[in-house]
Amino acid sequence: MKSIITIELGTNGVRVFAFDLDGRVIGSMKGYHPTFHTEPDMSEQDPEQIFITTLYLLKNLLNEYIHPKKHKVACICFSASMHSVLAVDKNGNPLGYAITWADNRAKKEAEELRHSALGKSLYAATGTPIHPMSPLLKIAWIKHRDKDRFALTSKFLSIKSYIVHQLTGEYLTDYSIASATGLLNIHTVSWETDALKYAGITAGHLPGLAPVFTSAGRLKKAYQQSLGLPAETKILIGSSDGCLATLGDGIKGEGKATITIEDSGAVRVMGSSVLKDENMRFFNYLLTEDCYVSGGPTNNAGNIFEWFTGQFGDFANPYDMENSMQQLIEEASKVPAGSDGLLFLPYLLGERAPIWNADARGAYFGLNIKHERKHFVRATIEGILYEIYSIGKTLGEQRNIKSLSVNGTFGTIPFWTQMIADMFNRPVHTRQRSHSVSIGAFLLSATEMGIYKSLDDAARTVELPDVYKPDKQHHAIYAAYYNIFEKLSTKLFDEFKAIATLQQEHGHPIKNIPSKPITRKKQKL
Amino acid sequence: MNQFVLQHGKSAELRLFPHILEVGMKKNGSIQLNTFPSTISEGIRMYYIIEGKFEWRIDRHPYIFYPGDVALVLPGAPFGSDNGILEIGSFTWIHLHMQKTTGGHIAPGKWSGLSDSEGAAIGKILSFNSTPILSRFSEAGKILKCIHIELFGQEIGYQTRINHEITELLIQATRQMTRQNHSGRDFPKTFMHLEEILRQNLAHQWTVEEMAALVGMGTTLFNERVKSYSGFSPINYLINIRISEAIKLLRRPDISVTDIALDTGFYSSQHFSTTFKKLTGFRPSEFRKNHLQNK
Repeated sequence: MKSIITIELGTNGVRVFAFDLDGRVIGSMKGYHPTFHTEPDMSEQDPEQIFITTLYLLKNLLNEYIHPKKHKVACICFSASMHSVLAVDKNGNPLGYAITWADNRAKKEAEELRHSALGKSLYAATGTPIHPMSPLLKIAWIKHRDKDRFALTSKFLSIKSYIVHQLTGEYLTDYSIASATGLLNIHTVSWETDALKYAGITAGHLPGLAPVFTSAGRLKKAYQQSLGLPAETKILIGSSDGCLATLGDGIKGEGKATITIEDSGAVRVMGSSVLKDENMRFFNYLLTEDCYVSGGPTNNAGNIFEWFTGQFGDFANPYDMENSMQQLIEEASKVPAGSDGLLFLPYLLGERAPIWNADARGAYFGLNIKHERKHFVRATIEGILYEIYSIGKTLGEQRNIKSLSVNGTFGTIPFWTQMIADMFNRPVHTRQRSHSVSIGAFLLSATEMGIYKSLDDAARTVELPDVYKPDKQHHAIYAAYYNIFEKLSTKLFDEFKAIATLQQEHGHPIKNIPSKPITRKKQKL
Repeated sequence: MNQFVLQHGKSAELRLFPHILEVGMKKNGSIQLNTFPSTISEGIRMYYIIEGKFEWRIDRHPYIFYPGDVALVLPGAPFGSDNGILEIGSFTWIHLHMQKTTGGHIAPGKWSGLSDSEGAAIGKILSFNSTPILSRFSEAGKILKCIHIELFGQEIGYQTRINHEITELLIQATRQMTRQNHSGRDFPKTFMHLEEILRQNLAHQWTVEEMAALVGMGTTLFNERVKSYSGFSPINYLINIRISEAIKLLRRPDISVTDIALDTGFYSSQHFSTTFKKLTGFRPSEFRKNHLQNK
């Protein structure tokens, strides 16, 4: 039997899946790797550890599910988080750690560029919001603030390009990942001259551009042997997690949008044209030359509910976050929709879409003497989802969204999914225990292999069996409270700025991922 | 109880207890200058606050101590207050001599009744957890009081009981420290803390029991939580860190493969080579050759 393996290089770790050619999961594994915050604004990962984690998982997946049954691996397909940057020298050796999407070191540069004419034209050309997450700004930061590293750099890669280079020796980046760098003109699908100029590099500093269906060369001999894979095993460059999650939910075509709620979240649509926006609120990334995945990201999603649980959950079993979250959700379900008038602004980590305000902060609003702990629980979940709704609502100004799908660890919790349906007043489709990114990678591989005629055909085969229908009464309640939510989110602009400034002066700076800074062992010279 | 100080080599009461360097109790009725200067001791020091509020500096960082708190000072760390000021209040303390293990860590001596591995684990945990305040730790006050009474009472069996109580104090302090640093709520934070210590001491031959104890967990729960959080068993996760660090070192021409093997915690270059090749398909020397060439 033939199989397809997908490798997802995610924010907190690597996931590998094995599928049969009908898209059934044969096996899967995950492996964590850490994010280091040597400075509060920095968010970095060790490329070697990501590589070793990938190899370890791939090898174990093959040995457990593939080799004993004599399955043949037809294809290995990659997906990855967007916006990572790794500088390598002329021998391909990393110069420092990989910088992840959550890194904010270039915030000053981003602030300046965002408010300039160049910023506006670069956004229109590249589709990537002008934000510190963008590799455009990270590379510019390295050029100006880390001159030694810049001088030694032969190429600026993404984490995926690095891993693929380790395995095959090729320097390639796919259209999707490239379109999230802020350096690619998404209309001509070539590197944007003005962007390269701003970053201070030439096209030679970047890996070769490749469509998502590109075969990224042959596995090196040593890996063929250690993994037990034949030389002809196809290594597919693949796409980004955002694009593949959208494809994996079958969101190709008009009238559909998909919501992802993991630690962070996003609302996305797919189509043959870009979303234009004066206020630069949306991203437009490429799946193929004529297919754009557009939408808006939020910083504050499942991670905020984890924060709440960490502070106020019961933890009857030590470290059992899931059980504690489950108990809180049961508590929240006893409170009527609208939390009896308690509202929560979830901006604990600043916010991206749609308000794009790094100074935004959280608040409970409307508190009265009758509110109990359970109201706070429900209000917290409602606040996180009002924020998701606010992204969907702004997308709705340009696209007529008739139905929704939801994926991600938090989005697929039934209580949350129902709330999304009620807020949007749209039916919501979902499936339990599945992983949209990997299914997207499977569909991409199967299309490349000729199993489907096109990505459209592949997307049409996706079935999301669970449907949540909106409750009209709940919708009316949420709509009324959402009005206040939306007003507060912009009305508090000055106060957000004032309190963020005070917090910076007096308190500890906030970090995207709560963990202690790591002090690294000094290496022998 | 009245104020007192007993010192090793000076006080007859300590003749049977060479591991107790100093033990005492102080009641201070008025603010005094130049009485509590910064000093360094070769032993581990614990100060339990009975009354008052004290501002002390441990290892150059200032801390404030309230009744019920314990200041824990590791061997070699300077401890005292600025200008030698001693505030109003009372406290009791004990200084204990600790042995140095071959790995350079501290451990209590034979007197303690702890097994070698438990003693070493306790020493390691006390050294790695860098919080010098053990908060709301009234148990320590009770144990110290009991030690004082036994020392002066000298009833039958007092030698054994005192050694028992000191052992109890070390065990309780270790547990208090891990509990205080790891609330049982935030596993990612706990795991990061563990990772930090592993990376800083990669050459050490870690056991699962030691890793679990470091974060205040039993091994069963620890194995389960690490596996569900990271996807790896604790030992496999550690091996991944080792290989990743080794790769970084292999990319540099100036360190021998044997040194890399030992620095990253493999017990021989053979062991390193086998593990490395199993995972990466390359022998370390081949990997190095491939990555040092100009392309």
